[in-house]
Amino acid sequence: MASAIPTFTKIGKVIRLNKHGCTNRPFYHIVVQKTRDNFDGPVIEQVGSYDAMPNSQNEKLVAVNFERVQYWLAQGAGISNPVAQLLGLSGFLPNHPQTLIQSWKNRREPPRERKLQPIKGIAPPLDNPKI
Amino acid sequence: MFRIAPKKFIPADEKAEVKRLYDNYFHQMKSLRHYFFEQSLEQAESGEVAQMKHRLEEEEHIRLMEENRLENEKTAKLREEKLKIQAEKTRENILASLINKEEETRQYEIQIEAFLEKQKATPFIQAENIEKAIEEALANPVDFNFAIDLDGYVYRGRETAIEKIPEEERERLRSN
Repeated sequence: MASAIPTFTKIGKVIRLNKHGCTNRPFYHIVVQKTRDNFDGPVIEQVGSYDAMPNSQNEKLVAVNFERVQYWLAQGAGISNPVAQLLGLSGFLPNHPQTLIQSWKNRREPPRERKLQPIKGIAPPLDNPKI
Repeated sequence: MFRIAPKKFIPADEKAEVKRLYDNYFHQMKSLRHYFFEQSLEQAESGEVAQMKHRLEEEEHIRLMEENRLENEKTAKLREEKLKIQAEKTRENILASLINKEEETRQYEIQIEAFLEKQKATPFIQAENIEKAIEEALANPVDFNFAIDLDGYVYRGRETAIEKIPEEERERLRSN
């Protein structure tokens, strides 16, 4: 289809996570940027946020503006892996293979100790006083 | 030094499964991008923004057409006036030129009349006068011969001798 060709020429823009926040407290902005710009460089549009620290209800909150994501995908923007995974989990895109691979690896052997505990199903409340 | 990193071993079926997953995923993403692109095209033509744009454009178009019409009318009026003035001028010019022409023809005719009269007035020898003219010519021979002196004195006639003419009657120190 000749009309579809423009979507595949790279337009140099990408939907990815920009890390903001402070030490030991990451907070990601889901952002549309030119591929070459730094994380602290100019941002074309912010399209959501992802909080990596689980809150008091043991949830990691993600906000996504699906309309704008659809617009940028139609324009031909790329997506980074984490953003693709998040969108897959939300149902907007198909599930990313990485989520499936990670899940069966987790089932096979438990992951190593991390400061932020991964959420498994209905997770119990955290009892780490430091978080 | 020269430490070789241990290569991760992944069984073949797991690799195949991973490949299958990724192929499916990319296939689906490709089709989704196609779909979004076409959706955006349709939106561009029939979305609210597009409709508003259409409406504004139409209004703009109507307004401009009105302006154009008014301008045309103005210029048409001016043009008509100019044309009227020009027509007047050309009419006057034509009249003037016709009058001039008449004048000229009249003058020409007068001149021709004068010329013809002059010609008629000159003594032409008609058939009746011929014998008289011959007799007259024979009776009065005209002698054009003349001599001229170094001092500028003219002696006319073929048969005149210089000594026979007295000094007072010598003619014309200067002949044109």
